[in-house]
Amino acid sequence: MNFVLVASILFGLGLYGVLSRRDVIAVLASVELMLGAATVMLVGLAGLPSLSSQGGADPGTIEATGLLLLVMAAAAAAVGLALLVAIARSTGRTRTDELTDVRDRP
Amino acid sequence: MIAEFSASSIAFWLLSAVSIGSAAVVVFTRDVMRLAISLGVFFLTVAGWYLYFTHAFLAVAQVFLYAGGVLVLVLFAIMFLRRSKAGEPILESRHSTDSVVIAVGLGFLVVMSLRDRVPIALPQQAFPTTTELADILLGPMLPHLAAVSLLLLVACVSVLVVFGGERE
Repeated sequence: MNFVLVASILFGLGLYGVLSRRDVIAVLASVELMLGAATVMLVGLAGLPSLSSQGGADPGTIEATGLLLLVMAAAAAAVGLALLVAIARSTGRTRTDELTDVRDRP
Repeated sequence: MIAEFSASSIAFWLLSAVSIGSAAVVVFTRDVMRLAISLGVFFLTVAGWYLYFTHAFLAVAQVFLYAGGVLVLVLFAIMFLRRSKAGEPILESRHSTDSVVIAVGLGFLVVMSLRDRVPIALPQQAFPTTTELADILLGPMLPHLAAVSLLLLVACVSVLVVFGGERE
């Protein structure tokens, strides 16, 4: 067992949460699980010499790439939460099966 | 036969158990505060994974950004939106076989595609210093840094527009 199995389990749990949850906050939390699992797998795999002909990436480059990825994911989470709060305040609904305004609009 | 436990293997098993356990609570709990606390624990275990991979700066950034930033945003969103009594289960799920099949199948595909190429014991790497990191970010990765900075600015403006757009 190695970190790939753990990251895959975490990603699968997050995916199951996205598919099965009805509350938007829980869906966003599940998306965060998927992002965390993907970042862990990226950082872990990038340093492996067996996956690269050049003997694995430089640790500084891995760290810089991971840092940029963290900032992007945090910005996405902030925008997602802002949209959620704005929609919930204007419509009073937070369940995914109730948020059908866009779908039902002609 | 006596199993040999090194500090690395103990850290691996501990991180695996806590991260999977906290992620399971996030996915299956019906209490929104348990969800938020478990999400915070998950963020901290992700920082622990970065430390396990010898990326200390990334671990600190993870704690600052997620355990200290995104989690506070999640808690604020819960406070804005929730008006229920304490302890009342309010998060609902629609558990279905299709979701289980998709989630397990995708995880299985990832594991099977990488199972022969990833060693159990990871190679030891040196901790990159902040000077090296700055040289990389302000050198070959400067366009990426500029693009992410622009994205962050756009995200900040978007949040202000979304919240400031309402007029009484």
